[in-house]
Amino acid sequence: MDTNGATTSSAAGGGSTSKSSSKKHSRKPVYSRFTQQELPACKPILTPGLVIATFTIIGIIFIPLGLVSLSASEKVVEIVDRYDESCVPSDYSNDKLKFIQNPSINKSCVRTLTVPKLMKSPVFIYYQLDNYYQNHRRYVKSRSDKQLRSVSDEKSTKDCSPEDKTVDGPIVPCGLVAWSLFNDTYGFSVNSKTIEVNKHDIAWKSDKEHKFGSNVYPKNFQSGGLIGGAKLNSSVPLSKQEDLMVWMRTAALPTFRKLYGKIEQDLQANEKIQVVIQNNYNTYSFSGKKKLVLSTTSWIGGKNDFLGIAYIIVGGLCLFLAVCFILLYVIKPRPLGDPSYLSWNRSPAGHPN
Amino acid sequence: MEQIVSGKSQVSALSAISEAFALIIDGKSLAYALEDDMKNIFLELAIGCASVICCRSSPKQKALVTRLVKLGTGKTTLAIGDGANDVGMLQEADIGIGISGVEGMQAVMSSDVAIAQFRYLERLLLVHGHWCYRRISSMICYFFYKNIAFGFTIFLYEAYTSFSAQPAYNDWYLTLFNVFFSSLPVIAMGVFDQDVSARFCLKFPLLYQEGVQNVLFSWRRIVSWMFNGFYSAIIIFFFCSRALEQQAFNDEGKIASKDILGGTMYTCIVWVVNLQMALSISYFTLIQHIVIWGTIAFWYVFQLAYGALPASFSTDAYRVFVEALAPAPSYWFITLFVVIATLTPYFLYSAIQMRFFPMYHEMIQWIRHEGLSDDPLYCEMVRQRSIRPTTVGFTARRAASRRQ
Repeated sequence: MDTNGATTSSAAGGGSTSKSSSKKHSRKPVYSRFTQQELPACKPILTPGLVIATFTIIGIIFIPLGLVSLSASEKVVEIVDRYDESCVPSDYSNDKLKFIQNPSINKSCVRTLTVPKLMKSPVFIYYQLDNYYQNHRRYVKSRSDKQLRSVSDEKSTKDCSPEDKTVDGPIVPCGLVAWSLFNDTYGFSVNSKTIEVNKHDIAWKSDKEHKFGSNVYPKNFQSGGLIGGAKLNSSVPLSKQEDLMVWMRTAALPTFRKLYGKIEQDLQANEKIQVVIQNNYNTYSFSGKKKLVLSTTSWIGGKNDFLGIAYIIVGGLCLFLAVCFILLYVIKPRPLGDPSYLSWNRSPAGHPN
Repeated sequence: MEQIVSGKSQVSALSAISEAFALIIDGKSLAYALEDDMKNIFLELAIGCASVICCRSSPKQKALVTRLVKLGTGKTTLAIGDGANDVGMLQEADIGIGISGVEGMQAVMSSDVAIAQFRYLERLLLVHGHWCYRRISSMICYFFYKNIAFGFTIFLYEAYTSFSAQPAYNDWYLTLFNVFFSSLPVIAMGVFDQDVSARFCLKFPLLYQEGVQNVLFSWRRIVSWMFNGFYSAIIIFFFCSRALEQQAFNDEGKIASKDILGGTMYTCIVWVVNLQMALSISYFTLIQHIVIWGTIAFWYVFQLAYGALPASFSTDAYRVFVEALAPAPSYWFITLFVVIATLTPYFLYSAIQMRFFPMYHEMIQWIRHEGLSDDPLYCEMVRQRSIRPTTVGFTARRAASRRQ
């Protein structure tokens, strides 16, 4: 084998350097911090101090927030009463479907609710439906927002079928969402004195002012063979049909409540409230449940302990982790930059892991 | 033939005591060594040597040697040359680097990367090669993560709509997630991210081994990022839906409908995905600050703008933010809680890993942080203890073994 190294596989760059440096016109590009990737930068790393400080701050912020949320939720008074099973007369208890679908049977039902604690006004009345998939895609699609907004778009019913038109013309409002409007009604009285239920302002303002037209009136509604829910007064424009607007704002989950009305007086503790329910709505064919709910609200909303408890748990966990880290750094300090922990030094003979 | 065989036996006999060999062969002998019956033995001999010099070889032979090495060993090959006679070799190798200058532009035109002088090869490999490897692997892992986190929340919601394919979010929210609300931070990371500065890349050349050993894109790392996406989606979805159940959403007794749940979950996703980016990089220039915080701010601006469009276009997102979400304290409480709860596990893992099981580039970051980077003895210790016995030449190995 020769030992001559005349032409090598890699080029000798030495010759070119002296030539380019002696050129008067340099082709070196203009230096800028951006193109040379030397921008001023902040390079944080997770030092022990930072980690402990972060966990401590999270713990300190979260625990009070959790206590505040929990106390707000605890202040809310809620009465939930399931009535769909008990509001069926005993002779129909084996054939609830026949009961509910027969329009000639009297559907009134009287329930008594006991107020557990003082409920300050306004007390909100909700109806709760379980196992009702208002978020099913075909159901959500089956409406026509254009038609709801203006009279001139009456005929745009293409997504609404089969509830789109009758022989007399298009159905307003069309679609399954409107067709299945909830139609149980509730009348409240205490000590034989009727309680006023305020059914104004239960829908969102944007619904009343922008999504439902003030000159659109119901037409041909529930006039077909199958009646799915409530009928609408055709002399009231849609922007004033609060129940319809509340119903048409589709719920997120299969168990949901919708606002029925407000009671604007205080309900004293241990009062017995008589509720006369018209049990019209058919939830029996799909084993749904119907519940009547009376609830006050706090500044954060209704009764849900989850957020308060979760905040407290996470805050406590973070404080615990902060303490653990303090102990760990004090008891087991590691020399920094110790290369024996490198991945290819940990396995024998430096084999890749 | 005999020479090759005897050379091979010499190498294998003495390889046990870490002797380094060099092989020198010229063009005329190469013509015989590259014949089909001899080339495998030649290759084995060449691989056993620490360095091989082929002199007086023709362009065709250069290309054939390169091809032999590439196919025989299955490793990635790099060729560098500056003349027209190197063109074949540059094209044959996996990476061809052309040097522009004295011998014309032929090499440059047929190369993958062009540099001006041979000495720039060091910077190209150690600095840019390392950065590129890190950027690409981080970017791909992060892409999987953010799409899994986003898509899995939609999948989880489907379980609550009896799998009817109703998405939890408004259509345009879905479409624009990968366009506006999570793309710029990833692009900034893929283009600008640096784990250690150029100075340290050159000072600790063994950082390049991270790429050779593929530690940043191993299956374990890919699967861990995906797992991160899955559990983030689970936490976001279940915490949001549990906190926004059927009870009143605000103090006016209104209930959280689908648009409110969708808006809250989407806000949480945008925050989590962007803050995760802030937690995984350790290099913040003005650009990174603008894209990360700007993306989050843009989400709120977008909600306002999209909500202001007429209801015929924005359907159920019409005025959701202005009317329902922003005035309700529970929206802000839920967002804060879900975002922190989702990121705490990753933060914990990162803190433990950084301190107790740091990777090589993290060690260098610690050295820089501690201010020991200018201490030559300390750096020498880090470098020498990191060396694998088979990657460096004879003198360095002897020096290292003497030190130990």
